[in-house]
Amino acid sequence: MRYDLIIIGMGLSGLMAAKTAAGEGKKVLIVGKGMGALCLLSNTIDVLGQFPKIIRMRDNLFQWIKDHPQHPYSKVGLEKIEEALNSFLSLFPPPYSFQTVDHMNCLIPTGAGTLRPTYFIPITMVEGTSLNEGKALIVGLKGFKDFYAHYVADQLKCRGVNVSLSDLLHGEITTTYLGRLMEKNSFIKNIGREIKKQLNGENLIGFPALLGVHDPIQVKNNLEEIIGAKVFEIPTLPPSIPGMRIFNRFKEWLIQKGVTFLLGYPVSKVTLKGKKCEGIEVSHPPVTTSYSADRYILASGRFMGGGLEGTAEKIFEPIFHLPIPQPQSRGGWFEKKFFTVSPHRIHRVGILTNNAFQPIDERGGLILENVWVAGSILAHHHFIDEKSREGIEITTGYWATKKAME
Amino acid sequence: MNKKTWPKSNADACIRCTTCMAVCPVSRVTPKFPGPKQAGPAAARFRRPGEPSADDWIDLCIGCHLCDMVCSSGVNVSELNLIAKAKYLDEKGRPFRDWLLTHSYLWGQLGSFFSPLINLLFKNPVIKWMGEVILKIDRRRELPGYEFLTFRQWFNRKPTKGNPKIAYFYGCYTNTNEVDVGKATVQVLEANGFEVTLPPQRCCGIAMLGNGDFKGAKKMARYNIPSLLNTIHSGSKIVFSSTSCGHMIKHQYSHLLSIPSAEEVAQHLFDVFEFLRNLKESNSLNTHFKELSLKAAYFTPCHLRALGMGIPALEILRLIPGLQIDQIEADCCGMGGTFGFKKEKYEISEEIGKDLKEAIDRLNPEMILTDCEGCRIQIRHLTGLKVLHPIQILRDALQNDG
Amino acid sequence: MKIKAEVLIIGGGATGVGISRDLALRGIPSVLIEKGDFASGASGRNHGLFHSGGRYAVSDPEAAHECISENKILRRIAPHCIEETDGFFISLPEEGLDYRERFLRACEKVGIQTTLLSRDEALEQEPELNPNLLSAVRVPDGAIDPFALVLGNAKDAEEHGAKILLHTEIISLILNGDKVKGAKVKDLYQGEEYFVEASYIINATGAWASQTLKLAGLPIGMALSKGSMLITNRRLTHRVINRCRPPFDGDIIVPNHTVSILGTTSIRLEEVENFEVTPHEVSLLIQETSKMIPAIQGTRLIRAYAGIRPLFQSEEKGDDRAISRGFVLMDHEKRDGIKNLVTITGGKLMTYRLMAEKTSDLICKKMGTNVPCSTHSKPLPGANRPTGLTERLKQFTTDRGEVLCDCELIQKEEVKALLEKEKLKNFQDILHRTRLAKGTCQGGFCVYRLFGLLHELRKIEGDSNKILKGFLEERWKGIRPVLWGTALKEEELIESIYKGIFNL
Ligand SMILES: Cc1cc2nc3c(=O)[nH]c(=O)nc-3n(C[C@H](O)[C@H](O)[C@H](O)COP(=O)(O)OP(=O)(O)OC[C@H]3O[C@@H](n4cnc5c(N)ncnc54)[C@H](O)[C@@H]3O)c2cc1C
Ligand code: SF4
Ligand code: SF4
Repeated sequence: MRYDLIIIGMGLSGLMAAKTAAGEGKKVLIVGKGMGALCLLSNTIDVLGQFPKIIRMRDNLFQWIKDHPQHPYSKVGLEKIEEALNSFLSLFPPPYSFQTVDHMNCLIPTGAGTLRPTYFIPITMVEGTSLNEGKALIVGLKGFKDFYAHYVADQLKCRGVNVSLSDLLHGEITTTYLGRLMEKNSFIKNIGREIKKQLNGENLIGFPALLGVHDPIQVKNNLEEIIGAKVFEIPTLPPSIPGMRIFNRFKEWLIQKGVTFLLGYPVSKVTLKGKKCEGIEVSHPPVTTSYSADRYILASGRFMGGGLEGTAEKIFEPIFHLPIPQPQSRGGWFEKKFFTVSPHRIHRVGILTNNAFQPIDERGGLILENVWVAGSILAHHHFIDEKSREGIEITTGYWATKKAME
Repeated sequence: MNKKTWPKSNADACIRCTTCMAVCPVSRVTPKFPGPKQAGPAAARFRRPGEPSADDWIDLCIGCHLCDMVCSSGVNVSELNLIAKAKYLDEKGRPFRDWLLTHSYLWGQLGSFFSPLINLLFKNPVIKWMGEVILKIDRRRELPGYEFLTFRQWFNRKPTKGNPKIAYFYGCYTNTNEVDVGKATVQVLEANGFEVTLPPQRCCGIAMLGNGDFKGAKKMARYNIPSLLNTIHSGSKIVFSSTSCGHMIKHQYSHLLSIPSAEEVAQHLFDVFEFLRNLKESNSLNTHFKELSLKAAYFTPCHLRALGMGIPALEILRLIPGLQIDQIEADCCGMGGTFGFKKEKYEISEEIGKDLKEAIDRLNPEMILTDCEGCRIQIRHLTGLKVLHPIQILRDALQNDG
Repeated sequence: MKIKAEVLIIGGGATGVGISRDLALRGIPSVLIEKGDFASGASGRNHGLFHSGGRYAVSDPEAAHECISENKILRRIAPHCIEETDGFFISLPEEGLDYRERFLRACEKVGIQTTLLSRDEALEQEPELNPNLLSAVRVPDGAIDPFALVLGNAKDAEEHGAKILLHTEIISLILNGDKVKGAKVKDLYQGEEYFVEASYIINATGAWASQTLKLAGLPIGMALSKGSMLITNRRLTHRVINRCRPPFDGDIIVPNHTVSILGTTSIRLEEVENFEVTPHEVSLLIQETSKMIPAIQGTRLIRAYAGIRPLFQSEEKGDDRAISRGFVLMDHEKRDGIKNLVTITGGKLMTYRLMAEKTSDLICKKMGTNVPCSTHSKPLPGANRPTGLTERLKQFTTDRGEVLCDCELIQKEEVKALLEKEKLKNFQDILHRTRLAKGTCQGGFCVYRLFGLLHELRKIEGDSNKILKGFLEERWKGIRPVLWGTALKEEELIESIYKGIFNL
């Protein structure tokens, strides 16, 4: 099968790449070995949370780019970063839209009762950013083991309650089960009434982030009406329902645009001729299927996604076997302490690219002419510590594809 | 992945990330099933050969493969589940009902012959009540009706034409219950200039496999593979119209059942729309479509997704002028082959179906198209809408002058 | 504050609690002081092999004899701590069959029952074994759960009047002429220091034995040897697998609940604390054990850990392993003229009961009583509790309650009961008493849930996220040596959760 563009990887960067290309009417194939980390780790859109200083993100980024010339953000450039983020935002028209608090990082409460800086947040989390302006009640649900109201409340110095409902009689309930229940009106009524009974002057209700997958705003509004207080979501252990909302929205839009989705099978081989990729093979044992395109985007993520792999000896990129500059031996991958001042060295390794996101070697020589690289697999960032995961994925996914289509 | 040790040691690859928990349709609707991560790789560490099964909930896995598809670590959860389920059911023993449901190919022929009578009986509330009490087949289910003339009988009475040859694996359900799907497939292939042949074939065995009956499924595979191999060696490719049969033969025969030569057959076996899409790629697809003014919605069956070929039906149908076709945003229909017929599982099947129905309601289509018979049964049951195999619509679009 | 004790036992490992129980059953009251939790020394950091004695049959028949007789006794008194798996001594082509013949003869001499299995028979029972093996000898090895053993002894001791003080350290021993008057101790949580006066004192501090004696100004020549082990994610074999050759690095694989433990190494150390498993040891263990089970080359490791063995210089020979694994019971009356002090160290988990018996006998002799020992016939509490993997899965199926630890199937109610029953001071104490955090993700998910539960039950004080970070640092020590392959993916996930989602 022949396409204009083949995207390898179905994480946020791959999806963003697909959106960018499909938006221009290109014939796109997106292949993913799995679903990527979107449904696990993404709740909000981090851009650069490392310095929760009270400055506008634009200024923050401006300074960052000046200080970190090799960073993916510097390759995208300030203007295009904003363009990319806007392109992402355009997928989420109201009611379920994303917003910032005054174009600065804001602090949202987490399942461990900490506050965490982030940039774009869905409407369902907005009230959580102004905890000190009200009195909050944190609500946990009996049988749901991935969120603990008292844990959160104790840290945030407010009150926590656990509601137990007859709908929840069964021992253990999962995130998706609850997320689905939340979309049932009868359940909302029951739980709303139960919470209302527990109120003691609170005007903000913190919920684990599972107010429905399809129509969270409706769920939020219904709850608020019954309880008579504002409701907000608190991100907790994976899976992430807010992440699923993002994934579903992309998928719906992309399939509508005729993008071919191939989820579940790894790219087992690529055919190279000189500096060009001529095709890929996708393996679903015992058969393999070949696909080819004019251009390719590699957005296969880091270790979790399978974009990078590590044996006991070395780290490598398994699809194109692009070079990965790395510490001499495994001993240099991680620091002795888990919590460190500077990030573990392994998190900084990745694929080197030129400013157009094409893969290069250590001397700067172009390796492949029709392959562009996007997302967390890139070198010279450490998105966990920088708190820039989604920002890097969105902006590089967008800009690498723009460059590829030039 | 080392084929020899897989999927046995595959549970080791699980990183407990919970991606699979985000998509499992069963754990989404019932807390009785602990979800793929727990049921598959986590429980695998506790299962010991030679010791009795201790996990009756494993029987609730519907076998949709969604977990396998989303896992970035390459864990084949559904297969771990299936193996555990087989062990559980082997020990517990299978009810007669399961035998009936999984051996429909045996009584299907009979059903066709006596179809007027059977179809009447199947609608009879007393029979349905008896079915529920004695066989534990849920009485809220419509039992599929039988057609008087089987597909094979129809085919044999029909003149053959065209060149080159293409072989067709039609599957039991097409043969006895939805003959028109078979007819449409043949007609579309003929309209593209092929001569269709029907190699000797039996039930693919997927219903048995889904019920953990590896032995029964192997028996079927051992009949089908040599026959299909013969066909291939005579220079013909093979197409299937049922994605479930297709997935079974293409993947499970070699993976799970280790049938010799199954891999070779798999290389030459195609979904009918995949085959048509390949024709289109080489610009040899007959695209003399007439306009169909119709608003339809397409549903992706689980086994089609698991075949890993994208959604070829959608790509082809979008070529038909006038046909408006939306994709239904739902993951699994809840039927799970014979799963939804069983009384103890009907509720789960129904709940999963509700999500699908809601998604359909949002689109408000005139008709639903989907490639799998299980999904068609379920969607008819849920919505009362007309539900067809996409090949039937394609055939209609090709019938230019009646 | 001042405490008076008839007998003061220092050290809450298997030996210390074993003595405490032995004395209690003889009606002699004692106070046990342990600076950490139970089993925080070698008793919680060993290979968990329930020896048949086979390993020592050739090199040290006396130790082998001790093993096989204790093996028979422990099966009776502590069945819930033991998995009766049997063990294989497999002969590989590299070594040939010479050793096997010596081994079979030696086993027969000390009374260890053996069965010789052909290559095919062995492979049928353990399909993961190296297919090139020549033969296997089956012996009555097994797996032992050291935590259950130590806790069972402690419980019974306390029920019979013994007193146990955890998280309390001996900081000095006060001599008075030819006697130790008692010990100055420090409560490590409250910071309080006080005096324990005792008529008899037993030093059961294992690898710390010489440090403890130094507190009384008594020098002994003792060296330390580190042994490292690796834990696999799944249980590779049902039986214990030994290599049929003179003891060396990486020649034992012990199944343990859901996992297998590969070990061990032997490296001289100066310090009894602050040690780690080196990359060299990890490679060595994989290289050696994979000769017995080739799949180990690609298998997933979830943790590395090490324990310290005490070695006595006077007995020192070339290889540390060649030194007798038999125990040392020192009567300081004979050695140093201190009448009421006894040191018991060395030995094995396997022989803890025998060590306790001999020590208690000596104390009784000093006291002038002769109540006989009864630990060989009285079962430990909980001895009829069903255990095993299928059992756990069955429990999960029947209860279907909230599961805190997905990997080890530990239910919330189970942990809740534990928290309500016992006054646990420390987060690690909880982890010692369940298999929480011992599975695939090493606590990545369940520890968050445990903190949630602690808050829910109002059982946590102070900055809990600081404690959580402390746990993650501890966890790091265990996983860092084995971070590659699948474990690397897992690392990225867990780091993203705690540093990302939770912003710790
Ligand atoms: C690598 C390795 C593998 C082994 N494998 C096996 C095996 O497979 N099978 C087997 O049977 N045996 C095995 N052993 C041997 C076994 O683990 C030990 O012999 C046994 O655990 C010793 O128990 P113990 O109580 O004497 O010492 P420990 O368990 O070390 O107990 C000593 C205790 O004293 C405490 N302490 C120290 N100083 C003070 C102080 N000042 N105040 C208060 N408390 C103090 C410590 O905290 C510690 O808890 C192994 C040992 C090692 C090192
Ligand atoms: S099976 Fe795969 S998706 Fe599910 S938890 Fe394990 S690694 Fe994640
Ligand atoms: S196959 Fe489907 S039903 Fe079974 S565990 Fe996987 S996702 Fe759930």
